[in-house]
Amino acid sequence: MAAAVKIEDLHKSFKVGFIPKTKKILRGISMTIEEGEIFGYLGPNGAGKTTTLKCILGLIFPEKGNIEIFGYPYLSLRAKERVGYLPENPYFYDYLTASEFLHFYSQLSLIKKKEKEEKIHRFLRLVGLEESANLQLRKFSRGMLQRIGLAQALIHDPSLVFLDEPLGGLDPLGRKEIRDIIVRLKEEGKTVFLCSHILQDIEMICDRVAIIVKGEIINQGQLQDLISEKIHFTEIILSGVESKELEGVGESVSALGGKILLKVIEEEKIETVLRIVQSRNGRIHSLIPRTETLEDLFVGMVKQG
Amino acid sequence: MKIRAIAFNTFKEAIRDRILYLLLFFAAACIIFSRLLALLTVGDRVKIIMDVGLASLSLFGAMMAILMGTGLVYKEIDKKTIYTLLSKPIHRYQFLLGKYFGLILTLFIMLFFMSFIFLTLVFLHTFRIEWELLIAIFYIFVEVCLLTAVAMLFSCFSTPILSSIFSLSFYLIGHLSWGLENSIDKMKPGIAKTLTQILYAFIPDLENFNFKTEVVHHLPIPSEIFLFSVLYGIFYSLFLLFLAILVFRKRDFI
Amino acid sequence: MGLKVKIDKISRKKIPGSSIIYIPSGKYLKFATFGYSSLLADLIYLWSIQYYSDYSVVDRFKYLDHIFSVIAELDHRYLDPYQIGALIALYEARDLDLALKILDRGLEKNPNQWIFPLEAGHYAQMAKKDYKLAQKYYKKAMEIKGAPPITKRLYANASFKLTDYKTAFETWQEIYKTTEEERIKKIASNHLFQVKAAIDIKTIFEAIEKFREIYDRNPVDLSQLVKAGLLDSLPKDLDGQDYHYDSKTGEVKTQTIPWKR
Repeated sequence: MAAAVKIEDLHKSFKVGFIPKTKKILRGISMTIEEGEIFGYLGPNGAGKTTTLKCILGLIFPEKGNIEIFGYPYLSLRAKERVGYLPENPYFYDYLTASEFLHFYSQLSLIKKKEKEEKIHRFLRLVGLEESANLQLRKFSRGMLQRIGLAQALIHDPSLVFLDEPLGGLDPLGRKEIRDIIVRLKEEGKTVFLCSHILQDIEMICDRVAIIVKGEIINQGQLQDLISEKIHFTEIILSGVESKELEGVGESVSALGGKILLKVIEEEKIETVLRIVQSRNGRIHSLIPRTETLEDLFVGMVKQG
Repeated sequence: MKIRAIAFNTFKEAIRDRILYLLLFFAAACIIFSRLLALLTVGDRVKIIMDVGLASLSLFGAMMAILMGTGLVYKEIDKKTIYTLLSKPIHRYQFLLGKYFGLILTLFIMLFFMSFIFLTLVFLHTFRIEWELLIAIFYIFVEVCLLTAVAMLFSCFSTPILSSIFSLSFYLIGHLSWGLENSIDKMKPGIAKTLTQILYAFIPDLENFNFKTEVVHHLPIPSEIFLFSVLYGIFYSLFLLFLAILVFRKRDFI
Repeated sequence: MGLKVKIDKISRKKIPGSSIIYIPSGKYLKFATFGYSSLLADLIYLWSIQYYSDYSVVDRFKYLDHIFSVIAELDHRYLDPYQIGALIALYEARDLDLALKILDRGLEKNPNQWIFPLEAGHYAQMAKKDYKLAQKYYKKAMEIKGAPPITKRLYANASFKLTDYKTAFETWQEIYKTTEEERIKKIASNHLFQVKAAIDIKTIFEAIEKFREIYDRNPVDLSQLVKAGLLDSLPKDLDGQDYHYDSKTGEVKTQTIPWKR
């Protein structure tokens, strides 16, 4: 499959402070995003996620490096026509209504006049904002702004969509809806580049990820390759047994209201625990094996870096 | 056309700016105040009204151009509305030109209202429509277009306060241009003289757009000056816009 | 409330805007006003009217010249200030020279304004009875297109008062010929009568003087002068009448008073 975005050796520094001191933000980023996949871009705050994104979009000019979008030079209009962008904490002209806003943006892309009305309607419905079509943006909640931003990013039917923290500030229902939209985009054959902090969501929908720490990519690849299926430990919630008796078998994480949450690392010890509970006539409330999460990987990598 | 879309959007935004209406109010107040002022004079009353009126249009028009122009680009950058715009398939210069023409349109409308009040007042005094005043007003508009370009240029790389100061200095020096020329001849050669010469070369002679005195005294204006001034205004504005585009092209939006 | 009244009283002592006096002159003034020079001229003029109406300021004429020259520099085509400045100079400051200076400046900057030399002549005549100066001004005014007919008459009159009878006579003749109004024609003719009479009487007096030198007495009547060869002929007045001669006093008069013709 062709590469949607190809980034080679991207470097960027900024001059910071009154007496300008050079601060290096990106130290040689190289990534490839394949067409039709959902790509997650993670990193702690200040690592350079947004900077990378802005370089790709032509808002910032890198001092070194090469970027191509669908094989075109990344700054060309042809590349930009196929790209949609939702920035973090979006802010738009607040005196426009939702449909006026989409109308304006559709004028900047090459959407034909006849199709405009229909498209505006369609995308308002897609992001769940049909009823607010004539409401001024100044009256929108954070979540609504996020949605209209998404609509603006998608209205011209781009093949490649960049989303910077699209799930921030949304309630769980909203997050589910946006996640569903992103998955649907992939089904339509689009490529999605996702920057996020919310690792659970990334874990849920991304195909490939890259982790950036202090301006360098320390890990990238298929999600399933990075996170092993190995079971790390098992969590058992039980009652009716004294903590003392469980020493040596597992680690007691918390004890509340008679229930003990026990973390058992070795698989063999699980049977021991079960036997102890049975002999004391206690109860097992739950037994959950935990695999490595993206969070574990992430925290581990960041600590290393 | 994309420039037109941005222009109209800018216009819609600018026309909501309260500063504009504040200045419009003051301009109208000045014009009407001139009526009272005229009562104090011995002799020609209409002259006072015309002088105050034209001066108000010129001054408040300039202030509108500077105050609105310096925020034009800065606001977009500061409020981050520019991110989504520039990621769309438009050239950066289209964005700049759109903002410029949007503001020009707004200023035109404001100037129109001020002129209407002014001309009505004059009409009530002379019972004649003074077409010559329109000439002076037209050139005030040309000057305003130029000042907007200046303000916008500064807006591309500086904060509104600094941009306003620079633009205002530009306006003042522009009107002193003639005086500068005289001073240069009298100066001893040296750094000061060279600097002044550079200043004189670059900053336009805004007096070229000042026909207030001629119009009020009904003096004939040589026809070459008409064309020359307009062309000068247009070319200089284009030059400034070109500079702005250059500055804007390589700018990082952090 | 009482405080406000008190404050009002205090501030009246200070002359508002007196700092205008310190505006420098010089041709650079105009450029320091950033294109608003005519407005500034208006404002200073308005201020000056208020200033000069305030009789409590005793030495307010000290800077009269300066203030009005500043106004002229800012907007030299603003006509009202020249006239009013001259008016104030003459009637309030009682300074004819200054008034004339202001009006001269007005004419210099606005050569097509006949009002300035006309007023100047008028002032010269009225305040100092300086007919020479008046005549000079009236002539200037006359030559400017659009000057009212009265200018010429004033010129003629001034010439007469200066005993420049030749000019007076010629001018009155011109007036007589060119005017279309009956009233003016009558006036002109009366003046012509008067001037001719003055010329003739002068001639006759000179003859009488010579007669007295020769014969040591006044002639009995005027025909004696002709007989003595001192006059070619006996001049008659404009209406063709003889001049009245009183041999005792040696006075020569017209028989009719010019205005009662």
